[in-house]
Formats: sequence, C-alpha cells, structure tokens
Amino acid sequence: MNNKTLILGNGPCAVAVAENLLTTGIAIVIATTDDTIGLDGSADSGALQILAEMRLISCKGSLGTFRIEAIQNNKPVTLDVGRIIIAEEDQRTSNFSLYGLNASSNVITLSHMKNVLHDSSCEKSILSEIKKVVFLTGFVKESSPVIAKEVMLSSLLLQKDYNLQTYILTKNLKVAGDGLESLYRETKEAGTIYIKFTDAVPDIHQGEEDNIRIEFFDEITSKNFRLTPDMTVVDETIVPSRYATGLAKIFHIESDVNGFVQADNVHRYSVLTNRKGIMVAGPSRDILADDDQRIDAENAALAVTGLASGETETKAKKAQVHAGQCIRCLTCYRLCPYHAITLNACVEVVPNACERCGICAAHCPRGAVRITDLEPGAISDLITTDTGRQPQKTFMPFIVAFCCHRSAAQARDLAICMGHRLPQGLQVVEVPCSGAVSYDHIFAALDNNADGVMVLTCHKGNCHSEQGNIYAGQTVEQIQEMFSRVGFEKERLLIQTLASNMGTEFARIADRFEETIVKIGPSRLKKN
Amino acid sequence: MADKNVLIIGGGVAGLAAAVELADLDIQVELIEKSNFLGGHAIGYACKAINNTCVKCGACMVEEKLQSAVSHPNIKILTGSQVQNISKNHRFTASIRQEPLVIDREKCTNCGLCLDRCPVDRTILQGFSKNNHPFYAVNKEKCLYFKDQSCTICKDECPETAIDLDKKASEHTIEAGAVLIATGFQPFNPKDKPYGYGRFKNVVTGLDLERMLKQFGRVKKPSGNKLLQKIAFIQCVGSRDAKLNHLWCSKVCCGSALRMARLIKERQPKTEITFFYMDVQTFGKDFEQFYREAREDIRMIRAIPGDFYEMDDQRLKVNFVDNPTHETMEEVFDLVVLSVGITPCEDIGPMSRMFKIGPDEFGFLKTDDKGMLVSKNGVFTAGTVQGPMSIPETIAGAGSAVWKIIKYIDGHELRFEKVTV
Repeated sequence: MNNKTLILGNGPCAVAVAENLLTTGIAIVIATTDDTIGLDGSADSGALQILAEMRLISCKGSLGTFRIEAIQNNKPVTLDVGRIIIAEEDQRTSNFSLYGLNASSNVITLSHMKNVLHDSSCEKSILSEIKKVVFLTGFVKESSPVIAKEVMLSSLLLQKDYNLQTYILTKNLKVAGDGLESLYRETKEAGTIYIKFTDAVPDIHQGEEDNIRIEFFDEITSKNFRLTPDMTVVDETIVPSRYATGLAKIFHIESDVNGFVQADNVHRYSVLTNRKGIMVAGPSRDILADDDQRIDAENAALAVTGLASGETETKAKKAQVHAGQCIRCLTCYRLCPYHAITLNACVEVVPNACERCGICAAHCPRGAVRITDLEPGAISDLITTDTGRQPQKTFMPFIVAFCCHRSAAQARDLAICMGHRLPQGLQVVEVPCSGAVSYDHIFAALDNNADGVMVLTCHKGNCHSEQGNIYAGQTVEQIQEMFSRVGFEKERLLIQTLASNMGTEFARIADRFEETIVKIGPSRLKKN
Repeated sequence: MADKNVLIIGGGVAGLAAAVELADLDIQVELIEKSNFLGGHAIGYACKAINNTCVKCGACMVEEKLQSAVSHPNIKILTGSQVQNISKNHRFTASIRQEPLVIDREKCTNCGLCLDRCPVDRTILQGFSKNNHPFYAVNKEKCLYFKDQSCTICKDECPETAIDLDKKASEHTIEAGAVLIATGFQPFNPKDKPYGYGRFKNVVTGLDLERMLKQFGRVKKPSGNKLLQKIAFIQCVGSRDAKLNHLWCSKVCCGSALRMARLIKERQPKTEITFFYMDVQTFGKDFEQFYREAREDIRMIRAIPGDFYEMDDQRLKVNFVDNPTHETMEEVFDLVVLSVGITPCEDIGPMSRMFKIGPDEFGFLKTDDKGMLVSKNGVFTAGTVQGPMSIPETIAGAGSAVWKIIKYIDGHELRFEKVTV
C-alpha cells in the first residue's frame, strides 16, 4: 500500500501538517497553487517533495491507491499517493455592502487595518492624521471569535500605541475563544468604547468626500448619539476558498452549509471526511483560531499515522457486485457515501473504501450488490416469532424494529438499562445503517408474522453514511403509499429518528407503536 | 510495548477519546476515573435534536467514545480510583487507591433491584449509559450500612449476590511511559449567587436540566408535577464575572441552553421560555439559521437578573432591568435554569503539586501554546482541565495530546518551535 501523503495548501496549517509528518518518516508531497510555501529549504529532503503552481483536476482510486491528475505550469501531471490532507487557506469577503458602505481611503476592511498595524512595509501615515476609529462588526451577520479577536487586538493597539479613540459597534460580542474575555476587559481599560445593539441597528451614512456619520440610540444611556469617525473599519466574513470548494467536488467530499470541505456531521470529528484516507484540516473545514488550526494539523498527522499502521481490509464482509446481474445502472455509484464503487470493465467495490453501510445493496434494482449477513434471506432468518410464548387472551403484537447499530440499537440497550419496559413482542434487528433497509427486508418481516415494522434511524445530519436515513425515509414512504393503495394499514410501518443516548425516547416510541398496532389488530399477512 | 503504555487520569470525554486513539495505535492505556461512572459530565447530556435533525451538540459522540473505550482490548480501566502519589525515574510509577467496588461488575446484571429496594433516597446511584457497567453504584455518604451497619437490604436481595458491602479498598501500582491529565472541569457552584440554588426547589443548573432531559425526555418541575408554563434561562452564571475573577467565557453554555430551550419548545410547546443573556455566542456551523429560528420561539432579554424570591407556591419572582425602558421588572417563572460556567476542577491542586505544573492565572492547567512546557516531562493535558471547551473541541484536543504523546514515547524531538501557525 502506498503510504505517501499529499498535502494540499501552502498556509500555516499545511506547513504545520507537513512539519508534524516529517518526524514520522512518511513520504510527503505538498502541492500548492502558487509558488510560495512557508517551509524552510532544509526540510526539502528525500522525504518531502514540493510541487508549486499545481492545480488538481481529478482524483481516482481510494485509500492507498489515489491517482491524482493535475496541471502544473500548463503541463499535465500524474501523482500516485496513499493519503490526502486538504489544508487550503480560507479567504475573506469584506462586509461593506452589509453596512451600506463603499470602500474608500477612510472606510477600510479589518484585514487592511491589520496590515497597517502589523506589516512593516505598509504605510502607517494614515494613522497619524486621525483621532476616532470605529469598528463595525457582527450586526447584520453574526460574527465569530476569530474576527472578534482581530477587532479587539487592533483596537487595543490603536488605543495604546497610537493614542486614538476607538469604538466597537456590535450586536453579540463573540468572546467564546481562549483569552477573549480578558482581552475584552483589557480593551475597555485601554479606553475602547463598546456600543452593543440588541434589536435596532445604527443608521450609517456615507456622505460627500466619504465622511461617515453614524447615528444610533444607545440602549444603556437611552440617548441618541452621533459618531463621526475619521476612519471606519468594516469586518469580514471568513469563507472557504473557491479552490477548496472545488476540491470537495474533485474528491467527492460532502461540504457544509457554508461550503467548507467537511460535512457538518459529528461522525467527522475532527478532521475526517466521508472518504477514508482523505482528511481535511484547519481553514478548509471551518473558521478556526490559530490554536485550533495547530490542533487540526496534529490530528491530521495522527490520522495519517493511524492509517499507516496497516489495516488490511478483508473483502468477504464488504459489498460485492455480481457481474452477471449488474446492468451498470450506476445506482450504487450514485448512492455510495464513501465513493467506494469503481467503474472498470465491471462495476466493482473497493474493499478499502467500503464501510459496509448496505445502502448499495438495498437500492440495487437488480439485486446485484450483496453483503454477507445483510441479505434479505439472512435477515429473514433472524426474525422469529417466539413460538414459546404463552397463548394470550389479549393480542400481543409482534413488532420488528430495524435499528441502526450506531443509534437506535444503542438506545434500545440504554432503555433496558434504565429500567424501561419494552413491548414484549419487540424484536430488534440491528443494521449497520438504516439505509441498508430495503423493500425485501420490510416484507421479510411482515412475511415472518410481524404485526408492525419500525425503521429507527439516526437524526438528519447525524447519519454516518450521510444520507442513509434519508434513503430509509424514502423506502418507508414508498411502501406506505403502496399499502394505502392496496388497502393494507400503512400505520403498521413507522419510521422515527433516534440517537444512541435516547433510551427514554426509544421506550416511548416502542410503547406508542405497540398501542397503535394493538388498536389495528393482528396483521392480515400473518400465517398461523 | 510495555514501556510505551500511557496512564490517563480522568475518564471523561478527553480521557476516553485519547484512550481510544492511543489504543488504536496499539499503545496500552491505563485509564483511571475518580467517580463510579465513566463519561464525565457529558455522559449525562441529552440529545438535543429538534425536528428530527441533529443540532451537533456532540453528546452522542461521548457515548460512542465510551463504547469504544470499554470494549477495547488495549485499555484497562479502574473506576473509583485516584492517584495517591507518583514518581518518575525515566518512567512514571503511580500508586493508585481504588475505592471498594461494592457491586461486582462480573456478577451484576443491571437488574436495578438494589435501587428499587434501597430505603434511602439517592443512595444507589444510577449511571447514564449502557456502557456504564455496573449501571449502579452505592453512595457511601448516604448508605446506612456505611453509617451504622443498620441495613443490608440491597446485599440480601441482590439475586446475583453481586453486592459485597464489606469489600475493602485496593491499592494498585501502575507504571507508565507518559501521563495524560484529563480531569475535566468543575461546574460553577451557584450557591453563593443570589439565585437560591440549593434552597429554592425550582432553581436548577443547566447540567441538572441536561440530565433531566436525558432521563425523562422532558422537563419537569422539581417541586412536583404542577403546571410548568414559564421557564427562564440565566446565562453566564459564574462566567464572564469580574467579581469572581472569572474572566472567561465558558464557550458551551449558549449552545447548550438554546438547544435545550428549543428542544423543550418542541416537546412541550405550551412552555414559554425567556433567555437572559449578555452576548449570544456562536456555536455550530449553521448558527445563523439556528439563532434566527430560536428567536422566533424564545424571548430574548439582554440582561442578567439581580436576584430571585421564592413565592409561596414555589414559583420564582425574578428581578431584572429592562433595557429599553430602564425599569426594574419583576416576573414570575415556574422554573429557572442557571447556565453555570466551567471552572477549574478540584483535582488541579493535587495534580499541579504532584506533577509540579503551575496552573494558569485562572486556575486551569494548560500546556503552553506550543505544548512544550509540560510535555517535555512526559506529562500532558487534554480537555476542560485546560479551560472551557466544547465536546468537538475536546475530542480534537485529545487527538492533539495523543500526537504529542506518541512523539514523546517514540523519543522524537518535538518540533513545534518551527511551526508558525
């Protein structure tokens, strides 16, 4: 297996990943879109290769066998690596328009102000002719501790080193970062004036010659104020770079609502993606403080080391496509959350990438994809009406619950531990993901005398296979519709979401479902 | 690998996450936990999903880490245990005292009969997870047997003869190549605040509410099952407080409180919820939308109430200054939830003495920015012992500590001085 690790990016986080990995002896390739990288020359040894001005185009293969196609200086390049770490920098969009302002010599971005203060090559004379500086942050859009820290640090320097009067206008001051509450107090002591808005926002006018006038009602003093700053500093929104967003597509990685290259899913803590062998660290995955970026770099290095310790995946338990039955409809290819299906002469499953969620097998229209122990026949064998039960005067329904083993099955165990009484006729069938539940499974349950069937999935956004629970929802909905059409009680089929720590809720759902089934009576499909 | 094993002190999120990472790398882990149950504070947290959608509080990940840790062959766990002293001569030698495990873990089947039969309230303690095994423990502070040997009901009635009230404490010696301190945090005790916590029945902490929601799936009035209509959440209790010299934001309380508030709104829609705050902190990747929706259901008041009075019907009269009018308002609530902050845990004193590490200005135990100060000696920290952090941050921090630990035990020089993040 190829252990070589590709690092994408040239910022501090990518450098930190590289430096961490260099100590392990794992071969590294760093690919950057421009020609700068913050590593010193001595590091460029046999273990490290730097490919500057390189842009990725495509990626095939899986953990241990990734093949990257890229363009470097207008020439195509092919690269074979075993693991990939995405550590591209984020970028910033200025928020002038949010405050109804236009950039000018006295209306500047936060980054511009930071450059003035910290970059020795930047002209500082603009600070010599001014007295009042206003920072506008987080009152149209919510801000983040990263931006709040920069605002406060800049304001502190302006107060202390330049003897200027600074004002910070904000809604919710974001102090949920290390040392930020102390910094907030320090800026106040240094003379920074904070004006916080709750519902109202200030009127901001940009007049002739770009003079700024800010008028507002102050909630603390109940008075109207007017501020005429000599300089207005506007905050920025941190967004993923367009290149990083493109990488998500190239690698088939789920992104979050803001376009960062990591699904907003707890199963991806902290640097994982839906693809085995591809990690994402630092500003590519979220808005992170410097310390958190360093931590990400270490986690990415750790993840690579862990994979390198050599796990060999056995084919037997993973999904398998039976070529004779496959019609290349590509349903499995589209649905696989782990991108574990390859299209060669035959459609094949990559054992290294397959997580055995069962979505492909459940949705293959030809039954060509199979997974040991998940076939409807095998599941059917698990479902057994308890024949040893005492004959009851009252109807005691037989209920089959297909439970995701990460969530609902754990919740069932917790419910028992907590002392909840579960329906006597409840049988739980654990599945690796609710997305593995197919028509065949549900009918196998009914065929095995179930009076009711529950499919218990993870909550939306909490499925390890990203969409497995959504697919389960679709399957159930379709069968329910079929039931209504043929006059079978659709209430016999229920889908609910649960998490592993919801023991009480599991008991409640099972209880209510039993009540429902008792009301409807025994299933007509029941054999006696 | 005997010389590469790691001693982890603390079985909360950080300790468990680090243990699993190390064990997966084939490093032996000795994990000791002071309390009877693994999982730390967070194992008691409720799932706060609303509208069938995960809100990314991370509580279920604690369950997952715990499950992986207890079933991992490379992890040895001692509960009810504390380090008595530790010495270092290349390797660490720690002597551990383990309180008697009155309920035998091999024999106990978690049937719960001991809890049912025990005559004294809150004497048989219950765990929070199915991976807390045994799921029950005897609270020696309250147990009559430990007071005057007057009661042996649990022992007599246990169908598995799993209870031995005479069991003695045991001593263990653990040798380890490195130590990870992951002793967590102390929730701020609001007793000294004018909020009547501990005296007024219907004043609870955010942690109490988390556990209540996990156990019952809904919020109940501690004073009884009377109508519960109005709930107030008070933020920043023990955080951002200059009088206490608590000059930090606890980071997690806005997220916990607003998520719980929305969960209650969903499950008990008739409840009216008021949220008293200073600044709402950003949490989660879709905070903007979450916060917008929260404001539709929840009344937000930017003020922190001065004090409360308990009325005859045990409801609470809350005084606060209404910002727009500057008037002192008085309002009655059925339940008040105090979002208590994260404060340094009580073990920091002994830990800093034992390992000769000074706490930071606020009393947390931190390695310096580059992880050098402490880790040079083979002692590492992770989790909220370092300061406030969320569950995802804690898991990431545990990974970072594990990375430093493997560098240390492999004898690699740490190269952090070159990192310029």
